[in-house]
Amino acid sequence: MNRRTVLGGLFAAASVPALSSCASGITSLDSQGTTSGGGSSKGGVTIGTANFTENQVLGYLYAAVLTAAGVKTNVRPNLGTREILIPALKGGDIDLLPEYQGALLHYLAPKATETEEGEMQNALAVALPAGLQVLPYGMAEDSDAFVVTRETAKKYGLTSLADLKKQNGKLVIGAAPEVKKRQVGVIGLREVYGVEFKEFKSLDSSGPLVKGALKKGDVDVANLFTTDTDIQANDWVVLKDPENLIPGQHVVPLIADRKADSTVRKALARLGNILTTAQLTELNRQVDKDKKDPEDVANAYAKQHGLA
Amino acid sequence: MTIDWSWIGDHTDDLATLTVSHLQAALSAVLLGVLISLPLAVVAHRVRPLRGFLLGISNVLFTIPSIAIFVLLLPVSGLTRTTTVIGLTVYTLVVLLRNTVEGLDSVPAKTKEAAKAMGTRPLRTLLTVELPLALPVIMAGVRIATVMSISLVSVATYIGDGGLGQLFTDGFQRDFPTPVVAGVVLTILLAVVADAALVAVQYVLTPWQRRRA
Amino acid sequence: MYELFKNLGSWLTSGAQWSGSDGIAHRLAEHLQYSLLATLVAAAIGLPLGLLIGHTGKGAFLAINLASFGRALPTVGLVVLVFLAGGLSMLPVYVALVALAVPAIVTNTYAGMTAVDAGVKDAARGQGMRGHQVLFQVELPLALPLIMTGLRLALIQVVATATIAAYVSFGGLGRYVFDGLAQRDLVQVLGGAVLVAVVAVVLDVLLSTLQRFLFRHRTA
Repeated sequence: MNRRTVLGGLFAAASVPALSSCASGITSLDSQGTTSGGGSSKGGVTIGTANFTENQVLGYLYAAVLTAAGVKTNVRPNLGTREILIPALKGGDIDLLPEYQGALLHYLAPKATETEEGEMQNALAVALPAGLQVLPYGMAEDSDAFVVTRETAKKYGLTSLADLKKQNGKLVIGAAPEVKKRQVGVIGLREVYGVEFKEFKSLDSSGPLVKGALKKGDVDVANLFTTDTDIQANDWVVLKDPENLIPGQHVVPLIADRKADSTVRKALARLGNILTTAQLTELNRQVDKDKKDPEDVANAYAKQHGLA
Repeated sequence: MTIDWSWIGDHTDDLATLTVSHLQAALSAVLLGVLISLPLAVVAHRVRPLRGFLLGISNVLFTIPSIAIFVLLLPVSGLTRTTTVIGLTVYTLVVLLRNTVEGLDSVPAKTKEAAKAMGTRPLRTLLTVELPLALPVIMAGVRIATVMSISLVSVATYIGDGGLGQLFTDGFQRDFPTPVVAGVVLTILLAVVADAALVAVQYVLTPWQRRRA
Repeated sequence: MYELFKNLGSWLTSGAQWSGSDGIAHRLAEHLQYSLLATLVAAAIGLPLGLLIGHTGKGAFLAINLASFGRALPTVGLVVLVFLAGGLSMLPVYVALVALAVPAIVTNTYAGMTAVDAGVKDAARGQGMRGHQVLFQVELPLALPLIMTGLRLALIQVVATATIAAYVSFGGLGRYVFDGLAQRDLVQVLGGAVLVAVVAVVLDVLLSTLQRFLFRHRTA
């Protein structure tokens, strides 16, 4: 590896686009792909899940009820963020995804103003790209929450997101990297509440990094999920949202048209009508704290509630 | 940090599946790397001006973080095993190409002349004389590339693949060391076993070296 | 793809992108700090070890095998493991980077030492040189080219791998790669990757220049 070869390679790489010229876009679109009308789950359904515990629990719950309904399923856990998952759903790498109403709507239409569940469901139907649809939303809900420690709340007199503005330029916010560019995140906090943070720290989705940083005081405000039992356990304060920046976040299945048949619809609707927020929170706790497998937890729940 | 042995006992099936998937990704990458680097190495060996160019490209590719390669491949091959394998292959090239060129260089000119004098055609000389003689150096490269790939597969956990690497992100998210330890130990074991297997392959493929030793 | 490279151009050249705590200048400095410190620590461990094994010929089998085990260590796993054991700090990142660099340094140093002609060593001893004199005045200078190769290889790998710091919330150029992944912002990912590659190549050129400077008296 002498100097000449390394430099030669550098110039070569700069002048030869061959390395990357084959970006033909989307992969392996299913053959039944974009036809309108009914899809079919006969060939099996691949469920993708995002990079946090609850989404995996939901993915395995979907798998449990679909399997019981006679659909072959395959769960791909921990694939990444919504920004990664939705293109993968469009491209055919996955078929079904546990989503959250408001967050999904704001991903598709950042300027959406709907906050009521029914309205959001309609807005989603409009905003979704061709080939994708949402099924009826479930009872369970998991919102984004902006959280501070009890001490920070006292020190700066914080009870609501509106109070953050008084400390503009002073506070550090910690969240998953994607939250920096999301409406339900730094952008919305600026536009709706006029909040400017001193710094944004890229951490994780209600995971060890963001919670550790909040505990240690490395961040003042943390973006967590309301179903995270650590909020109560640590006596953290969830800042109120008087302007309704954070929309309702009912769990909603996002599915490719090609797989959405009545078997899938019914099975997922039944689950949605039974699973409550408290139950979902408890399932998350079993995975995070008792170190149970999300798959086992989901199967046990489905069995216990007559879903499998 | 305590190890939850019962977790390991309860998850032997999962661990086996992940290990197989891990090995499959690494071996596919090395195989693809060999298939790509062999012809390129022959070109680099014969055509001097291209040598620096080809080795240089592989060197520069080596400096790109593997995670970035995986992400940049997403528009091309999506969240699939293909993305993992292509990404890993890029990294095997630097070792495979250099070692194969060096192996071909190490074949004595007299040997090649002798083959020519006997009327052997160039392609036949390459396949029956040069490549076998270059094999020890090539195999040294294959061994390094294999061990390196086995260690790198886990990076693909950031795009939802990664074989045993999934144990790392899982343990990280749940503050649970047991799967992480299992993943690290299995990765090293896999590398050791694969390396030993390659030594055995080389032993079988190069009988003349045995007699000399 | 053309679009991607065009956007990369504006990403790399915009003034705003270079300033501030998430600016390229700051991330570049962090990345250099992580990489150089890790490589220095690895050299402080690997060089003496390689020299000792090469000089005495003892423990070579063990060291070389340990080095190839070391090469198999999965960086992500190591970072997570040290993080779970010791909590959030830069320690997990440094441990993983040093573990990555030490094998390359030890094996190349050892290889350099064994490549020194036995006759030369005998001649040096015959002239009455002591063990340490043979090591530092004869073996080390002769082994230096391979030792430098090891250091350069280690540094290139460390620079590329230091991106992992961003996984555990720290900075460096990996921030662009991991944030770009989460946001599916390929321009940012490509920008980070290109900068990492440039840093690796520039450092490699610097080291090779240093190497040539060290040998200038011997090139005839």
